[in-house]
Formats: sequence, structure tokens, C-alpha cells
Amino acid sequence: MQVSLNWLQTHIDLSSYTTPQLSDLLTFAGIEVEGIEVKGLATDKVIVAQIQSFEQHPNADKLSVCQVDDGSGTLRQIVCGAKNFKTGDKVPLALPGAALPGGFEIKEGKLRGIDSNGMMCSGKELGIGEDTGGLWILDADLPIGKPINQIVESDTLLDLEITPNRSDLLSHLGLARELAALTGLPLKGVRDHVKASSTTRTAKADEVTLAATDGCPYYTARVIKGVKVGPSPAWLKSRLESIGLRPINNIVDITNYVMMEMGQSLHAFDLDKLSGGIVVRRANEGEKILALDGQEYALLAEDLIIVDHQRPLAIAGVMGGEETGVIEGTTNILLESAYFTPSGVRRTSRRLSLHSDSSYRFERGMDPKQVQGGSDLAIKLILEIAGGVAEPELRVAGEAPALVSTVELDEVRTHRLLGIPTLTTGDAHDILEKLGLIKQSANAEKSLWTIPSYRLDLHRSVDLVEEVARVIGLDRVPSKFNATFASGDATDRHYDHAMQLRQALVNRGYNEAQTLRLISTPQIEDALGNPLAQAGAAMLKNPLSEDLTALRPSLIPGLLASAALNIRQGASRLRLFEVGRVFLKMPNGMVREEERLAILLSGPVSPSSWHGRVTAAADVFDLRGVVESLPGVSALETKALKDNGTFLMHSELKIGNRVLGWIAQVHPARARQIDARQPVYVVELLLSALRQGSTGPAKFTDLPRFPGMTRDVAFELPADVSHSKVSAFFASIKEPLLIKSELFDVFTDPTGTKLPVDRKSTAWTLTYRNSEKTLETAEVEAAHARILAALQKALPVTIR
Amino acid sequence: MVGDSMHPSTRKIIVLKPALLSPFWRFFGYFWQFHCWPDHLLSCITAILRASSPPFAAMLSQLDSLKTEALTALDTLSDEAALEAFRVDYLGKKGKLTALSGGMREVPADLKKEVGAKLNEVRDAITSGLTVRLEALQAAKDASAVAGIDITLPGRPGAGVGSLHPLTQIRDLAVRTLRRMGFTLADGPEIETEWHCFDALNTPTDHPARNESDTFYMPDGKLLRTHTSSVQVRTMESAKTLPVRIIAPGAAYRRDEIDATHLSVFNQIEALYVDTDVSLADLKGTLEYFFREVFGPTTVVRFRPHFFPFTEPSFEIDVKLEAKGKEARWIEIAGCGMVDPAVFAEISKKRGDNLFDPEKVTGFAFGMGLDRLAMIMHGISDIRHLIENDVRFLQQF
Repeated sequence: MQVSLNWLQTHIDLSSYTTPQLSDLLTFAGIEVEGIEVKGLATDKVIVAQIQSFEQHPNADKLSVCQVDDGSGTLRQIVCGAKNFKTGDKVPLALPGAALPGGFEIKEGKLRGIDSNGMMCSGKELGIGEDTGGLWILDADLPIGKPINQIVESDTLLDLEITPNRSDLLSHLGLARELAALTGLPLKGVRDHVKASSTTRTAKADEVTLAATDGCPYYTARVIKGVKVGPSPAWLKSRLESIGLRPINNIVDITNYVMMEMGQSLHAFDLDKLSGGIVVRRANEGEKILALDGQEYALLAEDLIIVDHQRPLAIAGVMGGEETGVIEGTTNILLESAYFTPSGVRRTSRRLSLHSDSSYRFERGMDPKQVQGGSDLAIKLILEIAGGVAEPELRVAGEAPALVSTVELDEVRTHRLLGIPTLTTGDAHDILEKLGLIKQSANAEKSLWTIPSYRLDLHRSVDLVEEVARVIGLDRVPSKFNATFASGDATDRHYDHAMQLRQALVNRGYNEAQTLRLISTPQIEDALGNPLAQAGAAMLKNPLSEDLTALRPSLIPGLLASAALNIRQGASRLRLFEVGRVFLKMPNGMVREEERLAILLSGPVSPSSWHGRVTAAADVFDLRGVVESLPGVSALETKALKDNGTFLMHSELKIGNRVLGWIAQVHPARARQIDARQPVYVVELLLSALRQGSTGPAKFTDLPRFPGMTRDVAFELPADVSHSKVSAFFASIKEPLLIKSELFDVFTDPTGTKLPVDRKSTAWTLTYRNSEKTLETAEVEAAHARILAALQKALPVTIR
Repeated sequence: MVGDSMHPSTRKIIVLKPALLSPFWRFFGYFWQFHCWPDHLLSCITAILRASSPPFAAMLSQLDSLKTEALTALDTLSDEAALEAFRVDYLGKKGKLTALSGGMREVPADLKKEVGAKLNEVRDAITSGLTVRLEALQAAKDASAVAGIDITLPGRPGAGVGSLHPLTQIRDLAVRTLRRMGFTLADGPEIETEWHCFDALNTPTDHPARNESDTFYMPDGKLLRTHTSSVQVRTMESAKTLPVRIIAPGAAYRRDEIDATHLSVFNQIEALYVDTDVSLADLKGTLEYFFREVFGPTTVVRFRPHFFPFTEPSFEIDVKLEAKGKEARWIEIAGCGMVDPAVFAEISKKRGDNLFDPEKVTGFAFGMGLDRLAMIMHGISDIRHLIENDVRFLQQF
């Protein structure tokens, strides 16, 4: 909310506070100062001047050469670019030496060869008014030569963040009241003008009917006849302009002024355009209203509207109608001052995306007790400024709801919650009393308080405790250092495990990515058809854009998108991984959340360097090697799956019966879409499966005391016999001396010259050892021979 | 001096016949070996011996000239193979020195000791010469092996340098710090019920945050949690005993357009401490300690009163931080407060017991945005860097 310090000072004398002090005071009372702006001119070298004559600049189409009376007796020549003036207009003139806002100093000089001895200014250039598309044309009765800073006073504007619980601060008087409580300074008597002074009578049924008292329990109307609608006086305009409101006409300006002065939102109708009395009711479904902003709004049955006997007049508490507003020529008006319940105003205003200063206040909650005072202040100003005669009585329908009651303060709990040993009950009570609460009774344990009608946020003991804490601040609270022993559970272990995995990958040169959990509908393609996929992706009901429509069912779409971005930036060597949550739509429609690890690999094995500019492109075995190196992975098994449009060499990864995840090469067709020039490989693993593999501390195996012996064997076999079959043979063979079998070469010849294309040659090193004694060559030879015989029997191999 | 008498030019003419060494000489040799005789006396005796025992003199002379020859030859050798050949040539089983030492058999017993000493002396001289030469050759080879290497060249990159995402780093820093303070981790689903995300946290039913324009909903009416505070609710819902002392790092969602300062999915860390006697003083002490651990021991923290539906009193926390080259300023970094009794009441209603009786327990909660923390710590100007995963960005951390 924009607050004018000058305006504020009409209620409380803050001259003993500097702006930074005031800012701190507000900030530490929970009213955050988001901006401070000083308006107005410091220099007195900008004066009122009158344009006596002007002519076209001989060398520039867009410039005029003006002769200006600055009050010195001799005319001053000014070259000017504006067009919005005529002879005789009074304008602000910046004399040479004047410093304008933004550190801009006026100097004598030539413009396109013609002398110019100053500058005529717009309001914006002076930092006073808005840009009006030219010079600021001043009132004709201002004396020539008078400094502008004597006409327009300077002001400090505070941009305040009022928290939603403090609707009582949404006015200058409300804020002054708070500052008085915080500083101990008195409020000036001017606040009395907001007190209800009118006499009231119950509105007749044909004057005001409340047909939806849950939305509007209390409505007042007053008729003023014979007003003269016109521009507001300067003081009123400047008050509104100072906080960024645009003056419209005296009646509308007065209603806005009262709202900003004391927080009561009003609405003035053109009485002659109403037919019959006021009805406050729910809208009919589809009913339409043309609002003051020129837009037509279609209403729902939940919306509260003000209607006459023919048509909707206003969206209650939000905005008036275009057709019944007060305009030039209006002579008779009906002034509405009412209380609308917050939830209704909020719902309507949100749904229509129609937000006004009025709806802002009503949806946060207004003090029903000020409805009459607000009306009275407005009437007083209307009569003063626009003339006319007001009906002697305020027509009242319904009753002001009682929104506050007495609150009991639990003294013991207060002290326990605040933890301030030096705080006495007396200190706390002083604070509450300063804030306008009235103590009704008190004993050692409890005290009972009457709440001011505007403090709609104080209902419970803890609300009063908050007031005490807010006012004394946390400086007086001692800092207590206190901890208890904490036993970790599965969540702690899972966190540590995930960090361990991350660190393992970082150590292998991988960069951790974090992609958005929301993906687009086309991206879902990258996530399906793998062994971990379920029924599909969980779609959002209300996505914000086409890019983010679904919760990711896999980490792969995000990593592919990140790869695409990096490739576009010219990167060719990608080592990305992500650990994070995915969302699986299960066949029963439920969504399961699951933690996964995914890795993406593409490009050269090593970064290029002077040691070797180009290294070989990494392949699926580099990625598999990374997986095999992860903690918790041992005896990795693969099961080839059917390729699909997105993935080649698509394989399920398992440890025993446990599914670990899947590995694949991104289909070259898909890789081309992201401009990848090197093959892209991905793997996605379940964190839960990885965790199962890392069970407890490692168990030590005694180191061999006797040397082993190795024998190599090379054999040919059909190319389609997989490595896993051969390794399974060595793993299963019952030869006690054989302790390790290790593949060290695979040879194929695509040309068929050294080896038929459908054959491959592999070479293994077999290690023999007896843990009890040193081996003898003969027994190794015998064991080796037995193994080779078994191998030839088990598999179609030819020993070389 | 003894050394002078061993000069090659004087020894060349001596031809030793070891067999003729007399007992006297053996006696004399003993003294020569262990006592330093006057020079003139020594040369006098040597002259007498040379005259009296020609074979002995011939052998000594042969040993001397072998030594000279060997040491001279050694100087010309420049590789290890030649040195090995030299070793075989002189010291090997069939080497020259071995052949000469065969003559010992003919040396009279009384002179054997003296000739033996000479033999040892020659063997030692050749062996040590050989060793010195070998070592010099090795040293030269070692030096040439590294000669010309420009040690200022950059190292081999290996598999490259990996990196943890800055968000992971900041989250882990927060987690490690809070764990030291006796907090354990808690977790909860990101697809939440409205009750866990709003109702239980004392959020009014018509609160704007619940609106579909601000919050993502699923077709079944569940929502994507707008804060990690729902984990507080889940934790209290299932807690078996007090105290509850947890932290919950995690993702949260808000229906915000993505721009330089907003993401629709962001990261928070949440803390909750509930017991029978938790006060504002605990909250203040905990957070001051936390921020000093994270930002350094001189960090200044301030608490501004604020409003949140689920805490009362509530505060926002500013930390005074220096941006690069700028004056230190207050930066809003977290929200906190004492758990509102309405939250305990709602939890108690759900649990159906009085473990969280609002009349008996108090607690504090705080939460902060990790994305923002990472941006502040690393001076990242655009939040989108955190989700784009540009390798040039990732590798800076």
C-alpha cells in the first residue's frame, strides 16, 4: 500500500523521526517497508512563468522559440519541444542552475543555433506529477516568479506490505493509530471526524432490501441532492495523486479519499439513473454487468450484486457499474456505505480477475463499526466541496455484525511461549493497552481484554501473545541453544544413500543435473516403454502452460531436454545424472512417488586436452561400467528388451531377481531431433533397488596366503552366443581350484577374412588357487583340462 | 704419506711374487694396516722388501697396474651393458682380478696377509669405481628422463571433473548443519491432500493460496504441495512420542510463470520442533546458530514480525550479507514462528489422542527457499540457471 507521509502527519506528528527511523519502526512492527520514494523539488530555481509569445524554430520543425515572463521584468528566451501550450499559459520554468530529479542540471545554451536560457518542464520532469504528454500547465491564478516547491509541497511515499491479517492498517488513519501505539505519540484530534455523527433510520423495504445477509448483513445509503460535479480542489487532487490515484471528479475523489483516509470503501450512484430502491442479492446465473472499467462481466449465482428494480448496479464491494456512476452533470446521488463479508468478495474478485482498492479491503475484512462514520465523513466533504443538500437521516438496512469479542490472555502460557525471563505481566499489559485493548479483569493466571472493533485478527490468547512479541521485538528474547538426541530412521538412511550415489558419480566425472518435475505432454514419450514405466503420466488438472502439463514418470525426459540444451550451446561431451522423484500413474489410477537415479552419457571418453585432442566416443560399456561401479551393484545382469522408437539396445538391468532399472541407447532418430552428433546412452535405476544391494558393513575376506596360477584360454564360438552364457558357464562350474575367470579379449572380423562373420573369438584368463597350500603345476593342468572339456561340452566352442 | 707411495708412477715397476712374502713382511703389514707409520721409515722398509722378494714384488706390481688399467678403462664406458661387460671382464669368475688372485697360492704364508690386503684394495677400488660409474650413469639417465618436461603444462583430465548441483550442495550444507543440532530427516508425498497442505495448517478455506490460479491440482482433487510444511503435518500425524525434531528438504510447487525469479517447482527446507516447553528463545537460538554455521560466525540475523496462518507469533528472517562489491544489506531468507495452537488442535482431532494437546505442547517451525539461498550464496542472478543444467553452469560448482 502506498502511504503519503504528509497525509499520515495530519493524524500524528512524526517530525521527531527520520525516514529511516520510521522505516525501521514499521519494519520491526511487522509492517515491511518495501520502498521509500521522496517526491517534490528541493531547488527553488524552478518557478512559475508565463508564456508571452512563441514562434517556430528556424532550424527545427519540432521546436518552438518562446518568450517567457519569469517575473524579472525582462523576457527570457526558451527553446521548447512541447506542443501542448498556448500564449498566456503558466508553466514551471527551470532556471539555469536548477537541479532536477535524477541529478540533471539546467544550463544556458543553444539549441540548433538559438539561445535557450532555461527549460520549461512537465510534471514528470520535476518528479511531481505523471506524464501528461507535454508541459505542466499550471493554474492561471498562480503568481509569476513563485518557486514551484512553495506550491507543491514535497512528500515521502512509503510502499508498505500489509500482512493479510491487518486490514486495519489499510488506511492512513489506521496506520497512524498503529504508529501512535508503537511510539507513544498522541493521535491528533482530526481522527474525530471519522466518528459517526448522523442520525439513522431503518431503510424502508422499497429503499434498501438485503436479500443475501450472509454476504451483506449491513448496508447504509444516504441521498444528497443538488450537487455540482466537477474537478476536485487542489488539496484533494494532490492527496490522491500523491499515492498514485487518478482524480476523476469531486464525488468519486471524495469516496476514494475516505477509503484511503479511514479504510471504508464507499460507492456513489447517480440517483436519477436508478429505478426504484436498492436490492442486495445474489446474481442470477449468467447475469451480466458492465463495470466502471468498461468491461462486461458474466456473473454466477455465488456473486453478490447491488441491483435496482431493473438492472445490476454494482458488483458488491468490487466495482460499480458503468451506467449508474457519478459523472459530470450528475446532480443527485445515493451514497452507499456497507459491510460485505470477505469470503464472498474474494471469491468473486478472484474469479473475475477484477481487483480494486475496494475489493482489496473488503476481502481482508473491514471494521463494520466504521460504515456509518465513513458515510458521514464523505457527506461532510461532499457538502463542502460539491454543495447540495443531504437527507437528514442515514438509511440503514441490517445490523453491523460484531466481529470481535473479549479475549482471555493466559499469562503462564504467554511466558512459556515467549521465553523472556525479564518480561513482566505489567510489560505485556502495557503493550496491549497501548494497542487500544482494554483490560476488563486480571488475576495471576489470566486477564480478560476487550478488543477494538478494528482489530479483526485478535480472537485467541495466542493472538495477544503475538502482539506482545511483535511490539517488544526479538531483541529481548534470549537465544537458547538446546538440542536433544535424535535417532535417524529410514529417511535419514535414504538421504545418505542418495548422497553417496551422487558423490560416486561426481567422482567419475559426472555433473549433477536437477530438472523440473513437470514436463510437457510430448516429453512423456521419452518416459514410457521402459521396464520401470507404469500406466503413464499423472496429468495436472490446471497446467499453467503446454510446456508443463504432467508430472514426470521418469528422469529421462528431463535429462534429454538438458542434453538438447547443452548440445545447442555447443557441448559434445555430456556426463549428466539426476537423483530425484518420479510420479507413476498406476493401472488403478493412483499415483506412486518413487526415487530414481538416471545417467546420460554422450561424446568422447575423455575431455579433449593437449594430451590427445580427440578421444574415442564413449559407448554403452562406458555407461554400464559406471553402473557396475555404483555402491550396491554387483553381478549385474541384463535382459534385452524390444527396441522402440525412442530407444535401441533397450535392456532391463537386474541383480538376481531384483529389477534395478534399464539401460539403452537413445534411438538415433530421437538423438537427431536434439542434434546429437554422437550416440547418447541413458540408464535409469531405482534407488530402492540400489539400497537393497548395499546391506550393512562389508565383510572381510582373508587374503590368500598361497600364490595362485593363471592359465589363458582362447576359443571361437558363434557370434550370437552371448557373453553372459559363457560367464554363466564359468560361474557355475564346480572346480574347487578355479577362483576367478576373466574375459580379456573379444575379436570379430566384419570382413570375414580372419574369422567368419558369424563367429567370434574370445580369450579368458582363469585363475587357480588352493587356499590351503601352494599349487602344483600338475593339479592346475588337470583342473584346466577338466574345465576345457566341460566348456566344449556345454557350449559350441572351438578351443584355439 | 701413505697415499703418495701408492701413486701409479712409483708402483708400476714393482712386480710382486706373493709366494716370497716373508713372515717379517706379514708382521710389518700388520703395522702398516693398523698404525700409521712415519713416511720415511715406510719407504725404507718397502725398498728393502722389493729387493729381497722379487715374486712378491711382481704380484703387487701386477695388481697395481691392473687397478690402473681398470680405472682408466672405466672412465671410457658410457652405458650399462659396457659396465656389465667390464664387471665380468675384471670381477667375474673368469675375470682378470680373479685370475690374478689365483697367484695367492704361491705367495709364502707369511706374506699372504699383505698381498691379500692389496688384492682387497684393488678389488674395492674397481668395485667402488664401478659403482660410482654406474650411479653416475643412472643419475644421468634419470635426469635425461625428465629433462625438457614443461611442468607448467596442464594435467591430464582423466574422466573429467564432476560436480554436485549447487542446490544439492546448499541442501546438504543445511542438512548437515541441522543434523549436528539434533534434527532428523522427514519426508512426505509431493502429491498431497488439501487437508495436509492447507486445512491442518490453519489456512482459511477461502484463502487465495488454495485457488486453482495459484496451486496445481490433480484431476482427483489432490494437489501438488505448495510448501514442505505438509511434511510437518505428516510427521505429527504419525509421531509416537515427543519431542518431534525434524527437517524436511523437498520440492514444492506454485502455479507461477517461470521467469528470472520464479520457478513453478522450487526447493525448500522445513524444520519443526515440538515438545512440552519450546519457546521463542529456542527458535531464536536455533536459527541464529544455523545461519552462523551456514554464512559464517559473524553473521547478523534479524527477525521481523510477519504473518503466516500456521504460526503465531510469526517472523521473517533477514540475514545481513555482502554482495560482491556492494554494501552489506538485509536479505530476506526464511520464515518462522511458533506453531499456531490451531495446528495442534487439528492434528489432535485427526489423531484422536492428546499427544499434541494445544494446551500442553508448544513448538517452532521454520522454512526457507533453497533456490534463493543458492542464488544468494553463489551470486546467481537468474533462477532458471538452476533447472537448465547448462554444463558450463554446473561445472562452476
